Amino acid sequence: MMASSYNAKEEDGRNSNSSTHGGAAVAKSKKPDNTAFKQQRLPAWQPILTAGNVLPAFFVIGLIFIPIGIGLYVTSNNIREIEIDYTGSESGSPCNDCSTNFTWNTTTPCICTVNFTLNQPFEGNVYMYYGLSNFYQNHRRYVKSRDDSQLNGNIKSLKEPSKECEPYRTDPVTKKPIAPCGAIANSLFNDTLELFHNEPNGRTTAVPLAKRGIAWYTDRTVKFRNPVGDNLSEVFKDTEKPMNWMKPVYELDPSDPENNGFINEDFIVWMRTAALPTFRKLYRIIHKNSSSTLTLPSGSYTLKVAYNYPVSSFDGRKRMILSTISWMGGKNPFLGIAYITVGSICFFLGVVLLIIHHKYDSRNNSADIPN
Amino acid sequence: DDCLTQRMMSHPQLYIPGQLNLYFSKKAFFKCAIHSCYSSLVLFFIPYAALHDTLREDGKDAADYQSFALLTQTCLLFAVSIQLGLEMSYWTAVNTFFVLGSLAMYFVVTFTMYSNGMFLILPAAFPFIGTARNSLNQPNVWLTIILTSILCVLPVVTYRFLLIQLCPTINDKVRQARATPPPPPRRTRIRRTSSRRSGYAFSHTQGYGDLVTSGRFLRRPAVVSWSPGFPPVGRATSGFSPMGRSAGYSPTGRPQSSKVPDVEATSLQMYRAIKDPPL
Repeated sequence: MMASSYNAKEEDGRNSNSSTHGGAAVAKSKKPDNTAFKQQRLPAWQPILTAGNVLPAFFVIGLIFIPIGIGLYVTSNNIREIEIDYTGSESGSPCNDCSTNFTWNTTTPCICTVNFTLNQPFEGNVYMYYGLSNFYQNHRRYVKSRDDSQLNGNIKSLKEPSKECEPYRTDPVTKKPIAPCGAIANSLFNDTLELFHNEPNGRTTAVPLAKRGIAWYTDRTVKFRNPVGDNLSEVFKDTEKPMNWMKPVYELDPSDPENNGFINEDFIVWMRTAALPTFRKLYRIIHKNSSSTLTLPSGSYTLKVAYNYPVSSFDGRKRMILSTISWMGGKNPFLGIAYITVGSICFFLGVVLLIIHHKYDSRNNSADIPN
Repeated sequence: DDCLTQRMMSHPQLYIPGQLNLYFSKKAFFKCAIHSCYSSLVLFFIPYAALHDTLREDGKDAADYQSFALLTQTCLLFAVSIQLGLEMSYWTAVNTFFVLGSLAMYFVVTFTMYSNGMFLILPAAFPFIGTARNSLNQPNVWLTIILTSILCVLPVVTYRFLLIQLCPTINDKVRQARATPPPPPRRTRIRRTSSRRSGYAFSHTQGYGDLVTSGRFLRRPAVVSWSPGFPPVGRATSGFSPMGRSAGYSPTGRPQSSKVPDVEATSLQMYRAIKDPPL
């Protein structure tokens, strides 16, 4: 099917030249050269949808997609995950008191505990997430309400945050700039979650939760930087904390200077706005034990929540998720099911088209092309 | 191998679709709109469902706003490129270079815009830093892209194949005939006596402009009509003169045409268009 070009490189310009023979100047021909490129005679491949192309392609796609889908689905099913909703909106649920008696200016947080059981043990690294529902972090005005220069440690932006942060740009009482400014920072998730394992012999041990390594590497090292200075409280001294925060930004984690200020990983994780109204964000990591194989053995557990984050005003829900991870990420059977479905559809279409092709092909061959 | 001019001459019905305005009608627009609606739904909802409550393979967040945007736009680019490849009738080197090149350019521009350097120059303008690196190294992101592009293109291919099988147009029949080797041209075809002096009509593929301007088809026929006294001078009667020179000689013995002889034959030479009496 390769159309080749024939090189008739005759010089058409010569006709006009010979006609002005004897004139003052030789008229230059305006005709484009008779080359393959300019006369559109380049060698070309013409894809034609014949039965020999399309039907094998459909079958091959079907035969490739179905095993991929099965692999994805099986992998997703092997991931262990448990979700504990602790919103407390129904009366009788453990955190109902905390959610109904919520006040903004409390110094003592409301503590509630939720008991749950793990039916199957969790192996390998276990990741602890907090999930929110009906929380639209993808609202346009919300997403724009931040100042990336300020979060990158720019001193000028620290004193004069960007206009996008309005109305969370300056403190209404003291008129000082807010650091970090904006609605995203202002709505930082501030519940504290702790996990305890109730062992069969009656003891209760705290599960060790690691708080470093939860944010993206590029976020933590490039995008978010503290303003230059040794003493963080000195650097931030002419700024105010966001209005909904209980502590200023330089007290987010006083015990670890690498996790304090703008580079606090919980803060970084929150600032990476979610795409959908139901989302989960990484909170802590439970690293696997080198000694024993089971990170979280099956049994009874207790989740202790310091309930600081109000969600009932917008009918939101809060939950805690424990999940293991595989090469395809968390538990999401959609991709496996989609691949199996599309592969089956392709295969089925291939069969149907093959039948149609056999039925109508003989009819086409007999119908001659009229000349 | 390309006998395009021969093919166009042998199947003049190829001009009918243009005359009947088959390809730019309301029906065609409606089909296009349906396809666009379907593609839009696929391009949003497949990434939406694939990223819903998903995580990276190191446990960190994957379902953030910037990753979702990047995934959707990459799916779109791939779907559009494949669709463009299907629409292109002629894959010349130039076409192929530009289609694949634009896909490559997309990745180059994306990685540049999402790089550290651009962010540090203007943080407010390049907030997507790190997204390309962190998102495109996930296997389930690439699996989603492949699934979405193929799902977008599948109905188009099916529909076109069904059309070719069930109601082939003259274009399709000619192309199918081309795909199988054409039968050798019958000898009688060469003895065409109709005048095809200006067989040039508007077509979307290469015309035969050089043929028209060169006036080659106005040349004297290869097989001369005899008059006594002029033996055929041992010339073949197969129908064309490869050198383009007039086959017959004038009584003065000089060659009839003053055209430069070193021209390769066009395939149209096989059709002797004009049967002029030798002057």
